[in-house]
Amino acid sequence: MRDSYDAVIIGAGHNGLTLGAYLARSGLEVLVLERRHEEGGGLCTEELTLSGFLHNVHANYHTFVDLAPPVHDLDVRGHGVEYVRPDVQMASIYDDGTALTVHTDLDKTCTSIARFSEEDAQTFRRLYTEAHGYVDLLLGTLMYQPPMSVKELTRALATFGVEDRSEFLSVKLRRETINQFLDQHFTHPKVKAHLAFHGAVCAYTNDVPGLAIGFPLLVGKIDNWHLCIGGSHRLAHALWRDLAQHGGVMVSDADVQAILVDGGRAVGVRLADGTEVAARKLVASTVSVEQTFLEFLEPRATPEELRVRIKNDVKHKDWTLFSVHLAMTTLPEYSAAQFDPDVNRAWVVNLGYGSLEELNADFAAVRAGRLPEPKPNAAVNSLYDPTDAPPGCSTGLLRQFAPFAIAGGGEGEWESLGRWYGHRCIEAWRRFAPNLTDDVILDWVPYTPLEIAQKLPNMVRGDWMMGEVSLANMLDQRPLPELGQYRTPVEALYMAGSTQHPHGFITFAPAYNALQVIADDLGIDAWWRQV
Amino acid sequence: MADIYTAEWYEEVRDAMNARVATMKDLPKGILQIKVEIYGDGVSPYVAEGSERHFLVRIEDGRCAWYREVEGDDPDVRLDYRFRGPATPFDEIAAGLEDPITAALHGTVKVRGDMRFLMRQAEQVKVLLEAYATGVQTSWPLGQPPYATTSEEALRA
Repeated sequence: MRDSYDAVIIGAGHNGLTLGAYLARSGLEVLVLERRHEEGGGLCTEELTLSGFLHNVHANYHTFVDLAPPVHDLDVRGHGVEYVRPDVQMASIYDDGTALTVHTDLDKTCTSIARFSEEDAQTFRRLYTEAHGYVDLLLGTLMYQPPMSVKELTRALATFGVEDRSEFLSVKLRRETINQFLDQHFTHPKVKAHLAFHGAVCAYTNDVPGLAIGFPLLVGKIDNWHLCIGGSHRLAHALWRDLAQHGGVMVSDADVQAILVDGGRAVGVRLADGTEVAARKLVASTVSVEQTFLEFLEPRATPEELRVRIKNDVKHKDWTLFSVHLAMTTLPEYSAAQFDPDVNRAWVVNLGYGSLEELNADFAAVRAGRLPEPKPNAAVNSLYDPTDAPPGCSTGLLRQFAPFAIAGGGEGEWESLGRWYGHRCIEAWRRFAPNLTDDVILDWVPYTPLEIAQKLPNMVRGDWMMGEVSLANMLDQRPLPELGQYRTPVEALYMAGSTQHPHGFITFAPAYNALQVIADDLGIDAWWRQV
Repeated sequence: MADIYTAEWYEEVRDAMNARVATMKDLPKGILQIKVEIYGDGVSPYVAEGSERHFLVRIEDGRCAWYREVEGDDPDVRLDYRFRGPATPFDEIAAGLEDPITAALHGTVKVRGDMRFLMRQAEQVKVLLEAYATGVQTSWPLGQPPYATTSEEALRA
């Protein structure tokens, strides 16, 4: 590590590495600093249970893989990343032994829905077809561009008369919940529950007003879930490789303590060991706004009003995830396979939510700090990635909607509750897959919301989206209006992580969008802007 | 009345577009270059199946400067937008039978480029599209849409 670079980037998650790789390819001298021992952030794959069992600790699902410009621009496949798109993407298994499956084949999905409601199957086909028509247009407009305002968007949609040309897009969606959208268009409780479950797994909680506006886009990706073969960390490694091949440097175990500011301009960083690194052109932070503005910057470097607003107004998700990682000697065999054999090949399975009311009740409980009766979702990567477990064995991942702080005891309660609640989640899985007896589970470990925040402090309070997903915290309002365009009040300091539009998840979009702003500010030739 | 996709036809389209925007205020400054790529779909007689016709449109300060047929991509020409789709829907748009905004919304015609600019200039974009779709009288020497097979069927084909 030298003592100065053109660009110093804080955080080597997929956003930090993506921004670094683009800038390195643009000829800048780039340094990416990572607090942990390895690159990746949420792209973290570890042998949490036993040797040879690969567990994606955070990011497991990669969507819109081929619509994300960095996948092509940075040649991630050329760097060894291999994706598989499971043909049975997702399923819901209900308490009465019935099941609904979502396939990459639309006809099969509609056939599955039609077993519950022919009318809903027809509606889903129309919704899916419509959403697929504009999904890349919307992504290009909303995800891979610095954000417009809701007002600008609605004005344009009104001018183009989109509402008259669409069955499902409407200005009123910005006031509605996903529940309302589903109640208007679908009839069967189980169909609605599955679609709401899919939204919730994407962090679009079904009872939050305004999130209906994103629902058609979610349907557009309902069959676009990809698994990174060999673990999600492979993607991080590919991005690091691209960075390195173009002259960039990633340094791990580099704990940034301060962003150095001179004359109102970010000029470098200081590490915990006292090392100072100068940034000739820019500093970009991909960690939380709290870390960036309240820990790394001297109070006098930013307006006091901004510091107050970050303390008071930056919103985080009001629920998080409790996980259980399992090493098993078999694949689950669901009782519901008698109803629909394809559930045994479903990558991700909703275990038990059969109505919107059940989801509503559990999110209400979680927001009150209570642990709901487990209805986890189960992902079995080994179904589609034979490299993630030893021959004949399988990994399992259970994820349960959960509070960060437990009512009456706070987040510290997770220290004692983790094993107990994990066991209950496994019991819930076993209820639907009776073959998962204790003797086929070689080992399992809980991964609590508290551990999320401890492992990745930028996921404040276990917030795996790095900011509330709500209409008030979307587009140019995220995370605050004054930070919504990736620039900050400190000259040459940019925000480029998932605190920014659009949100968390493996989208690359915060970094890609920050790149556009940085390129404009620095006069970098935007070679990637090929249409 | 000019034949579809000829230089004369594009001149008429250009004039129609410029006439429509002449009274508009706050036209965006600068140059935009738009590539229109039409591929044969086995239905339209104007683009042979397996072949493509490409057109380059140059917009200067909100007005269409020229509109010409080109071969493939020129690495020296920086494109701002690319519109791509099968020939039948393009024919139908030019005949005023298909709505261009609907075609984009349904993905029949794929649009690439900075959508924020198009959305912020929605009024002008709408006027330009209307001029393209309904602004000129077109001659169809090889037959006029709607063809026996619709654009939806052509797209599926």
